[in-house]
Amino acid sequence: MSDEFSQFNAAFFEESAEHMTAIESGLLELEQRPADLDLLNTIFRSAHSIKGVAGMLGFTAIAQFTHKMETLLDQMRNGRITANPPLTDLLLKATDCLKTLIDVAQSGSAADDMLVQQLGAQLEASAAGSPPNAGGAEPPLAPASAPAPASPTHRFTIRWTPPSFLFQRGLDPQQIFKELGGLGAVTDVRMNTDCLPDLVGMDPEQCYLAWTLSLETGRPVQDIESVFEFVREGSVLDIVEHAGTGHEARGDGSGNRPDNPTNSLSPIAPSLSHGPAPLACDDEATEPKRLGEILVEDGIIAPEALARALAQQKRVGEILIEQQAATPQQVAQALEKQRQGEATAHAKKGDTASIRVDTAKIDKLINLVGELVITQSMLSDLGSRFTMSQLPTLLERMTDLEHNTRELQERVMGIRMLQIGTVFSRFSRLVRDLAGKNGKKMQLVISGEETELDKTVIESIGDPLTHLIRNSADHGLESPVDRLAAGKPEQGTIRLNAFHEGGNICITVADDGWGLNRDKILAKAVKQGLIQEGEQLPDDQTWALIFQPGFSTADKVTDVSGRGVGMDVVKRNIEALGGTVSIKTALGKGTTFTLKLPLTLAIIEGMTVRVGKELYIVPLVSIVESIQPKAAALQTIAGKAELMSIRGACHSVLRLHQIFNIQPEYTDMTKGILVILETEGERVAVMVDELVGQQQVVIKSLDKNFRKVEGVAGATILGDGTVGLILDVRGLLELARQGDTVAA
Amino acid sequence: MAQTVLIVDDSRTMRDMVALTLADAGFQVVQAGDGDEAVGKLASGSKPDLVVTDLNMPGMDGISLIREIRKMPTLKFTPILMLTTESSDDKKAEGRAAGATGWIVKPFNPEQFLKVLKKVLPA
Repeated sequence: MSDEFSQFNAAFFEESAEHMTAIESGLLELEQRPADLDLLNTIFRSAHSIKGVAGMLGFTAIAQFTHKMETLLDQMRNGRITANPPLTDLLLKATDCLKTLIDVAQSGSAADDMLVQQLGAQLEASAAGSPPNAGGAEPPLAPASAPAPASPTHRFTIRWTPPSFLFQRGLDPQQIFKELGGLGAVTDVRMNTDCLPDLVGMDPEQCYLAWTLSLETGRPVQDIESVFEFVREGSVLDIVEHAGTGHEARGDGSGNRPDNPTNSLSPIAPSLSHGPAPLACDDEATEPKRLGEILVEDGIIAPEALARALAQQKRVGEILIEQQAATPQQVAQALEKQRQGEATAHAKKGDTASIRVDTAKIDKLINLVGELVITQSMLSDLGSRFTMSQLPTLLERMTDLEHNTRELQERVMGIRMLQIGTVFSRFSRLVRDLAGKNGKKMQLVISGEETELDKTVIESIGDPLTHLIRNSADHGLESPVDRLAAGKPEQGTIRLNAFHEGGNICITVADDGWGLNRDKILAKAVKQGLIQEGEQLPDDQTWALIFQPGFSTADKVTDVSGRGVGMDVVKRNIEALGGTVSIKTALGKGTTFTLKLPLTLAIIEGMTVRVGKELYIVPLVSIVESIQPKAAALQTIAGKAELMSIRGACHSVLRLHQIFNIQPEYTDMTKGILVILETEGERVAVMVDELVGQQQVVIKSLDKNFRKVEGVAGATILGDGTVGLILDVRGLLELARQGDTVAA
Repeated sequence: MAQTVLIVDDSRTMRDMVALTLADAGFQVVQAGDGDEAVGKLASGSKPDLVVTDLNMPGMDGISLIREIRKMPTLKFTPILMLTTESSDDKKAEGRAAGATGWIVKPFNPEQFLKVLKKVLPA
């Protein structure tokens, strides 16, 4: 069944991902409004859709599992079972499991069959907590009409009185006769008009006729019955077989042929058959207990004794090495293989490479292209018979063209823009899970979901945001007891917000918890040797310490966070995207992390600068200011490193012509221009000959076409068709630093 | 002239699969993502020879759509097939009472689908 449609696999995976998000956020919302039927219907429909398409594509495991979810959801929307937290837990776990199943279908890696079966059984048990009317699994259809084995021809007499509403259902007796004709030879058709009323009393939309047909066919009687499949309801049908051995009458006058309501996928556990869902709260409860746990529970050993015994337990690799069955190297290699296997399995969970675009966006694009074509034809028309008197018209057309092009560019960029809500939606689940784990009460308030930004950026901010939210949940918010003592509501709040600001998007993660503790951070930093004892730091720099690798002020390491892994990664990831992280905090009131990200990675606002005959582009966001220094502001240290001081701050100077080894127009700094660039709080002054102008440039990767060059982020095509290099500010700073060490 | 089939399903993948099957068999295909869209297309003059509709859809569901179609004078007798995984008799009966001609149970393959189509499509 899967072959014909296998080209739809990718579309299915994409669509499922959407449905999965809908199910998950729906379930979370359901906790707030358990009686919301619309919500339940939406969740049900999503599961239903996945099941339907999975079945079509031959993903049986997915179809079967979704069916179980669907059965339970159906009971819920019929009001037979009410949503409660354990049930939501189960369904959320099932959603995770379904995700895994779909990943498995996508990547071909192995699924945790145990978990699938276990969750499947739990879903069934929950669904069975109510009347068994949950729609059973449709048995897979038999392969389409295998040609019946040739058998001796039988003669059938078929008497059929269709229901009067036959026509109103779009049914046509002729179709039936035609289909019967396809089975064999219809030797006789008699129409019975006995029930036909007078013309006056006749409703032309009703069927008053009945037929008796004779059919000679080698096909079994079931085939004849199946012809009447759609008209059976309300019909009186008699099929009589005239075979040598006598008469076999089949048929049912009532038209009510009960389909077999077997429900093989949802057996009803008798012990669970009344009352809502006696559900296990989590996996452990249904898993057989481990030996140690039983011994502890029975009071035979103390928990400490168990812990000691467990500490002595060895891993299989260690045992094998001891028994000299394998060398340490072999075990290490095998472990490495295992890790790689896990890594590739993880990597295969591929991000969808396609993108879904609103048709309205495409329509607008097509309109624009139309306008562009018109402008172009007007221009070429003008060009063919141009006289100087038409110069104003030409300029006007050129303005149109520029207008069209810019709008086209914006629209095309818009296609890559996705709403950030797709990323945000997963965090409701995260916060719910975290609240369960650390025993705090917290809610996540999301706003600005409709804010759009580039797909690449969207895909990369998930992890940093997860870290930040975990951090807020674990370190930011106080326990309910502490909150009440501080006169705050018991439930903590984490706010996640996104908004546009200039050419950037800002994402804030704000909690109303402890706030950063200055003394604690400084003490920790001293202990870790990051700063000197007694060193005074301004607030900004103090807060920035938490982005140092390995820094954590958490008193204890928890499952959630506190290992000091994360905040430095957050900063690195965001900066890799060309963004910044800043912190605002007030003791006792809470902490706000603000991520500032570029809207897109493909196009930047750039400043074109000239050195000699070469043009370079500097990202505009990095430029602090440009000055022509006075000689007094310049100093040289050790005859090599040059410094420039401005308003009391000293910056090292980089001569771009020296770095790229080209002939400049000026070597005297007081004649050239110093562009002061900043990244990650560090500044450097770069000497160029001239500022040419500001323009938007499309970044083309240099690595792919040439190789990585220190100080160059990429290339772009300039207005005159030549290639311009885009300067990498971070790299230039590195170069400046190396220069310093050389000088020292 | 090629016969036209209107396919109504909220799953785009499912619609595309049906559309491909139909297009390969030489039909014209019109698609709609839910009942409301379908009614809109029908009201604006589209007159299909056959309607294939899913039952579970956001907005106007399949059953309501069937009722709406039967109210339209030009589509009173047009065959309507329910495209459904619902095996329960309730759903089918509800659909038939609303005026559905027949049904196709998912999952199906193109051959099975076209066979059911032939059953109800006027020649």
